[in-house]
Amino acid sequence: MNIILNNQSYEVPDGLTVLEAARRCGVYIPSLCYHPKTGPAGKCRACVVEIEGLRGLQTACTVRVRDGMKVFSNTERVLQAQRLVIDLLLSSGEHDCLSCEQNGVCELQQAAYFLGIERPTFRIERDRADDRSAEFIDRDPARCIACGRCVAGCNSTVVNEVLDFGFRAGETAVIVDDDLPMGASSCVQCGECVQLCPTGALTDKKARGLGRAWELEKVNTTCPYCGVGCQVTLHVDRARNRVVRVTGREVSPNQGMLCVKGRYAYEFPSSDKRLKYPMIKKDGQHVRVSWDEALDYTASRIKTIIDQHGPDTFSAFGSGRITNENNYAIQKFTRAVIGTNNVDHCART
Amino acid sequence: MLSETAILRIKDQIARYPHRESALMPALDTAQRENGNYLSREAIREVAGLVGVTFSKAYGVATYYSMYNTERVGRYHLCVDTNVPAYLAGAERILAHLCRTLKIRVGETTPDGLFTLSEVEDLGSCGTCPVIQVNDVYYEKMTVAKTDALIASLREGIMPPRKDGSHYGTACSILLKNRGRKNAHTLAVYKRTGGYKALAKALAMQPAELLDMVKHATVRGRGGAGFPAGMKWGFLPKNDPRPVYLICNADEGEPGTFKDRQIMQYDPHLLIEGMAIAAHTIGCRQAFIYIRGEFEWIARILEEAIGEAKTAGLLGQLDIIVHRGKGSYECGEETALIESLEGKRGCPRIKPPFPANVGLYGCPTIVNNVETLSVMPFVVAHGPEAFRAIGTVGNYGPKLFGVSGAVRKPGVYEFPLGTPLETVLAAAGGVVGQLKAVIVGGLSVPILTAEEARGLPLDYDACIKAGTMLGSGGIMVMNEKVSIPSIALRAIEFYAHESCGQCTPCREGSVVVKRLLQGLVAGRGSAADIDTVLSICDTVIGSTLCPTGDAWGMPIRAMVRKFRTEFESLIR
Amino acid sequence: MTNSIEELQDAKVLFVIGSNTTEAHPVISYYMKRAVKRGATLVVSDPRKTDLTRWATLHVQHKVGTDIAYINGLIHEIFKNGWAREDFLRECTENPDVIREGVRDYPVEKASEICGVPVETMRRVARILGEAESTSLCYTLGITEHICGTDNVKTLANLQMVLGNLGKPAAGVNPLRGQNNVQGACDMGALPNVFHNYQPVNNPELSAKIAKAWGVPSLPQKPGYTMPTMLRKALDGGTKILYCVGDNTVQTEPHMAHTIKELEALEFFVVCDIFDNLTTPYADVIFPDTAWGEEDGTFTNSERRVQRVRRALTPPGEARSHWWVMQELGKRLGKDLGFTSANAVWEDMRKSATSCAGITWERIESLGLQWPCPTLEHPGTTFLHRDGRFTRGKGLFSVTKWIPQAEPPDAEYPLVLSTGRRLWHYHSGTQTRNSKGFENIFGEELLEISPADAAALGIRNGDRVRATSRRGSIELTAWVTDRSAPGVVWCAFHFAEVCANVLTIDKFDSVTETAEYKACAIRVEKIGDGQPLGAGISRQARP
Repeated sequence: MNIILNNQSYEVPDGLTVLEAARRCGVYIPSLCYHPKTGPAGKCRACVVEIEGLRGLQTACTVRVRDGMKVFSNTERVLQAQRLVIDLLLSSGEHDCLSCEQNGVCELQQAAYFLGIERPTFRIERDRADDRSAEFIDRDPARCIACGRCVAGCNSTVVNEVLDFGFRAGETAVIVDDDLPMGASSCVQCGECVQLCPTGALTDKKARGLGRAWELEKVNTTCPYCGVGCQVTLHVDRARNRVVRVTGREVSPNQGMLCVKGRYAYEFPSSDKRLKYPMIKKDGQHVRVSWDEALDYTASRIKTIIDQHGPDTFSAFGSGRITNENNYAIQKFTRAVIGTNNVDHCART
Repeated sequence: MLSETAILRIKDQIARYPHRESALMPALDTAQRENGNYLSREAIREVAGLVGVTFSKAYGVATYYSMYNTERVGRYHLCVDTNVPAYLAGAERILAHLCRTLKIRVGETTPDGLFTLSEVEDLGSCGTCPVIQVNDVYYEKMTVAKTDALIASLREGIMPPRKDGSHYGTACSILLKNRGRKNAHTLAVYKRTGGYKALAKALAMQPAELLDMVKHATVRGRGGAGFPAGMKWGFLPKNDPRPVYLICNADEGEPGTFKDRQIMQYDPHLLIEGMAIAAHTIGCRQAFIYIRGEFEWIARILEEAIGEAKTAGLLGQLDIIVHRGKGSYECGEETALIESLEGKRGCPRIKPPFPANVGLYGCPTIVNNVETLSVMPFVVAHGPEAFRAIGTVGNYGPKLFGVSGAVRKPGVYEFPLGTPLETVLAAAGGVVGQLKAVIVGGLSVPILTAEEARGLPLDYDACIKAGTMLGSGGIMVMNEKVSIPSIALRAIEFYAHESCGQCTPCREGSVVVKRLLQGLVAGRGSAADIDTVLSICDTVIGSTLCPTGDAWGMPIRAMVRKFRTEFESLIR
Repeated sequence: MTNSIEELQDAKVLFVIGSNTTEAHPVISYYMKRAVKRGATLVVSDPRKTDLTRWATLHVQHKVGTDIAYINGLIHEIFKNGWAREDFLRECTENPDVIREGVRDYPVEKASEICGVPVETMRRVARILGEAESTSLCYTLGITEHICGTDNVKTLANLQMVLGNLGKPAAGVNPLRGQNNVQGACDMGALPNVFHNYQPVNNPELSAKIAKAWGVPSLPQKPGYTMPTMLRKALDGGTKILYCVGDNTVQTEPHMAHTIKELEALEFFVVCDIFDNLTTPYADVIFPDTAWGEEDGTFTNSERRVQRVRRALTPPGEARSHWWVMQELGKRLGKDLGFTSANAVWEDMRKSATSCAGITWERIESLGLQWPCPTLEHPGTTFLHRDGRFTRGKGLFSVTKWIPQAEPPDAEYPLVLSTGRRLWHYHSGTQTRNSKGFENIFGEELLEISPADAAALGIRNGDRVRATSRRGSIELTAWVTDRSAPGVVWCAFHFAEVCANVLTIDKFDSVTETAEYKACAIRVEKIGDGQPLGAGISRQARP
């Protein structure tokens, strides 16, 4: 269908909201409480637009496009309403970008930048202490804009049902269980809330200070834990050769969701305790050797034994932990080089 | 640890509702009552477990509604309403007197644990304020002397009986026809005056016929919006397998409004008969009355009346649950009310979908005000033409007007829609002093100067023409002694307290406007602050999720615009 | 899995048995819980009160190792009430009368006596399943890790066929794979009886085809040994060389003391891994492997989706990918395997592949594909056996009979030990315990014991206890919790220093040779007072 956005005509598919349509057309409308996964909430009111024929301002996230719809996201009335929303949010929290982990990827910052808000007009003092009690997730309620994405994520997306809103009016706050520190709560640290948070109110503790979003290289891969095969993005500090953060990719099979292991158990490759060199046991001790020595020694031992006792005295374990390619390599080696079918793996544990 | 009795009671409450989560609020109430009016974290957890909701959900609900005490309170919890009508009646003096007498500040508890003093928002007692609510009991028309007597009695452990009595009058004898009658709340008396005949007539009719009748009568919603009830009912989907729910909105909380309680307390069967007619028309078997929690005694009157009607076999298969709110203005908004009835925080929903299609438990739902439903017996008994014979074109029928503030006989008066303001004020004993300004539709509508109000016909359309709204018909009268900036401040304090907190302009904007007005009233403000207030109001209007942004944006803007010099005179 | 993970959120009825999904497959549990939120009925059958039971419509606590009796009882009841999908049985299965007859010995009353589930509850479950439009069945190792694991699985398949729950969305028989690439290891032929894509080694035609593709004159056609047999044969000289990649055998195989004896008996033992672990000390040669994040390749998940893994980090020291090691060893043993890169290995596989032949790295650059995907044009397969058309033609019922666990509890060892995984750790702990924070949350293994058993043994929450089986004993802290049913205690095998596999029994399913990790007899005694466990410990078992 056709819509007219800021006097320009665009073709968009059926069934989209005005906000989704605008995003497709490359027109930025500030929005905070909407996330494709948690759906329209209509709460932050940052995405208000004028729609011809409809009274008052409409939230772009809740109204569906109709053929021929005329939408204005750039009138003074619209911009004034958007500015007030962003200004009030900036005024009611401590949005100090310099030290914030979300700097550069913060949706509030992006909206303020777009609307040209340098600093907040008002100052709404609130006593909201940081919560650093949890092992992997830091909470900075002073950066919370009460958009509710974390609450929706916790209750509807991962259904861990830990977060909710507590209190009312200006005191409205996200609470963990019955307003416990997160570390003392029933939260299982899946981190969905962190992934959904548009600001720096919920951040990955272990990534703190280890690199700005734009400094880290993003590599898509598959989680190494259970058999779900969650799709993840590694945020990598190449210079220090380490993974700084893991986020879920919004694709099948996990749609962005992860568990505590997939999101936070990522440092093991960088552990000092890694095995780094080939070793051969000499006089009961493992001694570092070159690859050539290790391979030559192994090949000759294998050859000697199977020449004497037959290939079926050779057995190989593949693994449910290593790649398809490596498993295939092992079976091919076992069958084609050694000449036995004695290959198996830990499918049973 | 909850007692066995409490647990059994909660289990009963759970069984009472179509969905168990709806029992969360009554269950929390049960837990609070059982534990000296205090809702401990442990009790909330226990209730959450019984009802089957998460700790966070239960705690979120407990901290949303102001009547749940998550801090300990004294044996007598004194709640003084200081909202605009009470302010106009001098409630501040009562509050200050209580502070002196009890030697505590607002929010504190006396060291002997006897008294906790709280300043609260509108108690729906505008015609009889100042009012002090002690636990479940209202003490109205309070003076300093009466307050002293009350405290003395409470110190002796005696809760004095609640006294009735406010001014009233009726020019129509429809809604207040039984007001003066003794025991009018009983079925026997109600039937003696012809009660339940309309229902019998309605039950003999086809729902479609009834719907046409109500549509033709053009009963505009008395809750505030003035939307025709018949049309609303007509929006229900046809041939839908889902159950249809009827909810009577009795969450009378708009400052200046105290009309519905007159019907519910004195003539509950009128409402019940009206609901039964509506339920038959829309095919509903489970109805609710959502009544504000402060009206505990009225809720009991309703429950008794429903019991009587049921026992007498008058309701057939219809069941009516009286559900108590727990202190939230926002729940007067129909979708917030539905959320609340589902056991959630009272945050309005995005519309569409409208409740007629997706309402309570995701089912088709009609929400009507008490007064709206209470005219149905008349419409059915006398026919739509008789109804249309009352009032002005497009604004038919009787209307209750609650008059408070600077009048000699504040109270509730029933007049045809379209009656001139002066007539209503005259019925209320006339203005004390010089009329300076008036708010005709509850606190959320723009204020009128005396000039603007002159000759104003009190109906929906005329009020809009005059730049305001008839709203709930709560008329607050201000004379020359009243400072409009103080009224504006008290108004915004109310909204900043009652905002549900979900949408930004209302949640944060109300706080900013409150700070600015506080500064101005305290003499710390500047001319720029006045412009900022206006600009915020301008922007907030029409940009919030529910009408609450408008509900404070419009009146505050009107007060500042129309009485700007008064605001400017505060600048030093 | 016959069906796909995301389909679970659309299920009307979910039947989860022997799966602690919230801890072992958290992301799958999210979809299950979403289904519940959308009104689905969730039946969890598990001897333990797992976290998932909080969302369950019904938690059925059948006794450990009684799955066959329990399920056969349900099937009996389903037939009795006419809930069986006769059209499906007629059109899509080969021998429906066999199952009708086969469950005759399991009326609910008798089944109930064996599995300990009240008759009324069994009837209720049967009704839920029988009246459901479709049911998605999920299971994990609670089903397979028994001496009757194969029959357990067959019984579940019988149930789903009787109910016609195959070949359609949000249904099916869905084993949730415990490891990231256990599906892939099977698909790639790391199995003694099949090549990649399940091509039997004893099929002369296929063997010849693959031999040709691999450039060898012939390939052995006699199926090889399974892992437990390989190990067992070490003791009689049948196995002399064990080449072990990515497997902490000592910690993860049952009866640890016995596993060590087997490894010590080997003539030559090669281990390729990323960390020193309980197994590496026995190795003659250790190859340092690349870890996750250090190499390119693919994993295949539970729903048969082949997905890319990518290199993001430089491996430490001289760690190398294993295909390279294979290439180098092959060369030294006279055969060039043609492995020049991970992608080249995949392409080599594809040349003789069937169900994965249509999957290239290019095609799965941004999103994985689910096999069967035989050609480059094929879109992949979200659920198997569409419209009841089974791979083998028609569905085949096999009658199953309940047998007791290999080592029933007795006077000396009165408790049943069941083992498994915890949310906070993974397998032998080398990954989670080498990542920050996990030790702080869950730093030592706990023995979960029911309040009733604890009281009888004078054990309080947090006390030190000794758990002893006929095979060994471990000392650890007791967690008194109703997660455990009376008579059953539970612990995980994540911690090398206190490992459940010291106790577990080396008795195996006769077909798959999966060990009975879920049931052995032990006794527990208190050895010292301890600090009561903090509230934090109950995070996985919220009230």
